[in-house]
Amino acid sequence: MLKSGFKAGANNIVMLHKTVPQVAQELHACIGCNECLLACPAVTDSITIDVLNRETLSGPISVPVARFARSCYQCGACVAPCPVGLHRDAMMMWLKVRMLRSGWGK
Amino acid sequence: MTRQVKINNVDSAEIVIVGNGIAGLTAAVEARKLAPDKRIVMITDQNHPTINTPSLKQFAIGKLTREQLLAYPAGTERTQRIHVINARVEEIQSQKKYVCLTGGRGFGYESLLIATGSVATGLPQNLPGRDFDGVLTLHRLNDYLDMRRRLSEIEDAVVVGGGSHAIETVVSLLYWGIRVHWLIRSDTFIPRMLDRPASDMVLERIRRAGAKVYTQTEVIGVVGRVGSVNGVVTNQHQFLPCQLVLVCTGTTPVTALTTHCDLPMKSKRGILVDDQLRTSVRNIYSAGDVAALKDPQTGEYAPRAQWYAAVLQGRIAAAAMTGSAASEEGFGVPWHATRLGELSMLTVGNPLQLHDTATTLTDNSKGSYRRLSIVDDRLVGYLSLGPLQPDGLAIKRLIDDEHSISHIKKALLKGNFDARKYFSHQRTYAAHQMVHTGTLPATSALESSLKTQPLVRTLRETGPLGVPEEAVTRSSVKGGVNTHPLYDTYAHDDLIQQKTLVFFEQNESLFFEEGFAPDLAKHQGTVMPCVIESTLVALPSNTSQHTSGSLWSYSDKLPVVKAKTGNGQFIVFQRSEKEEIEHSQEKIHPSSSLWSYTDKHVAVKKGH
Repeated sequence: MLKSGFKAGANNIVMLHKTVPQVAQELHACIGCNECLLACPAVTDSITIDVLNRETLSGPISVPVARFARSCYQCGACVAPCPVGLHRDAMMMWLKVRMLRSGWGK
Repeated sequence: MTRQVKINNVDSAEIVIVGNGIAGLTAAVEARKLAPDKRIVMITDQNHPTINTPSLKQFAIGKLTREQLLAYPAGTERTQRIHVINARVEEIQSQKKYVCLTGGRGFGYESLLIATGSVATGLPQNLPGRDFDGVLTLHRLNDYLDMRRRLSEIEDAVVVGGGSHAIETVVSLLYWGIRVHWLIRSDTFIPRMLDRPASDMVLERIRRAGAKVYTQTEVIGVVGRVGSVNGVVTNQHQFLPCQLVLVCTGTTPVTALTTHCDLPMKSKRGILVDDQLRTSVRNIYSAGDVAALKDPQTGEYAPRAQWYAAVLQGRIAAAAMTGSAASEEGFGVPWHATRLGELSMLTVGNPLQLHDTATTLTDNSKGSYRRLSIVDDRLVGYLSLGPLQPDGLAIKRLIDDEHSISHIKKALLKGNFDARKYFSHQRTYAAHQMVHTGTLPATSALESSLKTQPLVRTLRETGPLGVPEEAVTRSSVKGGVNTHPLYDTYAHDDLIQQKTLVFFEQNESLFFEEGFAPDLAKHQGTVMPCVIESTLVALPSNTSQHTSGSLWSYSDKLPVVKAKTGNGQFIVFQRSEKEEIEHSQEKIHPSSSLWSYTDKHVAVKKGH
């Protein structure tokens, strides 16, 4: 998937729509209603929101969550159903960045 | 754990947390992060792990299973080495620093966090028939299990209460196809948060959805037959037949421990705490529904019984208890967002208070309603009702950080405020300040209003930017806002690609909340990370040029960006039309998968 010229951990340019503190703030504000995952066309495994939130924020990334992050194509379907107006797409983006950093992309 | 206590009679821990709600568990997890070696004990009499209480309504109507309710992955307490004791705290001996558990056992602490939460207020004590089977409050998991069990045999239900909890319950019942009678004491819905047009709009929607709304109506008695509910009698001399009465009349903080403490602990509608969540008794902290915080705008102490507030308080309490540097985020103004059927409701700050000093703007176009309270071009309150939920946290930041909203007033009022764009522009100024050293032309009249924006604060918000503080201070010493005319984002709005670039430097640990840096060993010895976030803008000379959809095609419009790394070298990004970005001899391929999806409208050209 990644071109050979790209190596995790080097001086790469990554585009983020929200900065880390903002993503963390949104994760903390998530009430766990699961509406975003219900709306998601890309999710295949049974991923629960608690695991997704914790792994987006920190710690090791498990295989189902990594698979989900890879299949996420940032369509934004998760944003409209959120009752508290959070941006799951930005959180997924951050999860992808974390995956790259932790060597999942290799 | 429990057994150990029994044997030793008096056990102790450095951090003792009473209650395993979200505030308690967040505090425990956060404290573990900040103090890896301290002994953390959570004492609770709840027999289930911490759950997402706001999503209990989804659970009640069968949209969620019980497993999906968990707030943290199962087993978090064990992996984080948080010991859970299933017991009830009876009293606090704050001078000798121990708590008494049920059965007279003692448990010592160094810092104690009271996160006992709240209980549902319920119907008045002397109301006839309040104990009939079928009169429920909805607060804890058991209440929702009870309601869920009954739903299939209910035809008519009465919901009592005029708050957002009540309306969410009404919506849940309607979803289940139950006839709902909703009794509200006042003549509007949440008079504290919504004004009359907003309230009318909500009630109208609910009526259209099928609920019967009775304003200025209270229950004066519950009628039962053979011990179970048969109907309610209202103060309007009506009898409403029903099989279920759901009481959503708010919550009461559980402050029983304040009266069972050897030193006086101040409490009034919750335990009074300062901004570090300290109570009036030394070494005792309080967080969550039970803690009454001062509202920065009104100066009154009141509990904030909300999910996000509890998470934030848990984090701050953990920092205070472990003696770590206080979190920079602070509490700020209250923020409340919810979905009521097809209507999204958002209140930030106090849109209805301060009405004597604030200017109020309202807009009710396109089936939505917005109300702004403004004091000297600063937003103090925001209320929004409509089909779409605005970015509430971004609006909260506008209020908390006192941004000038003179440019975005209209967008806020019309409900099309693009927070992402706005804040990425803010970052542009900050990055600009940092990387340019005063060589650019002076500010023109166009930007004069931008000076009012708090630049230093902006830097802090951007997180990764906060690191090279030196650079900030240096350039700010030179005085004035050094905004180049071409960065006047408001004037050249159409030219701007609202994207943010982050240049990752070696030390990745900065980007991770808890310093999770997988390849850290590889990058040992880096001096100082340098991160630039920048918005790509077009040069004024290219104004006629069409901005291409491709991400990498505006290289010709990108001015020189310099970044100073920790070891004092300048990295220069300079792009001419056919050059590729080179950075430390490493080529970056535009089609490197991930961020090509960031924006649906931006397609990445392959094979550049």
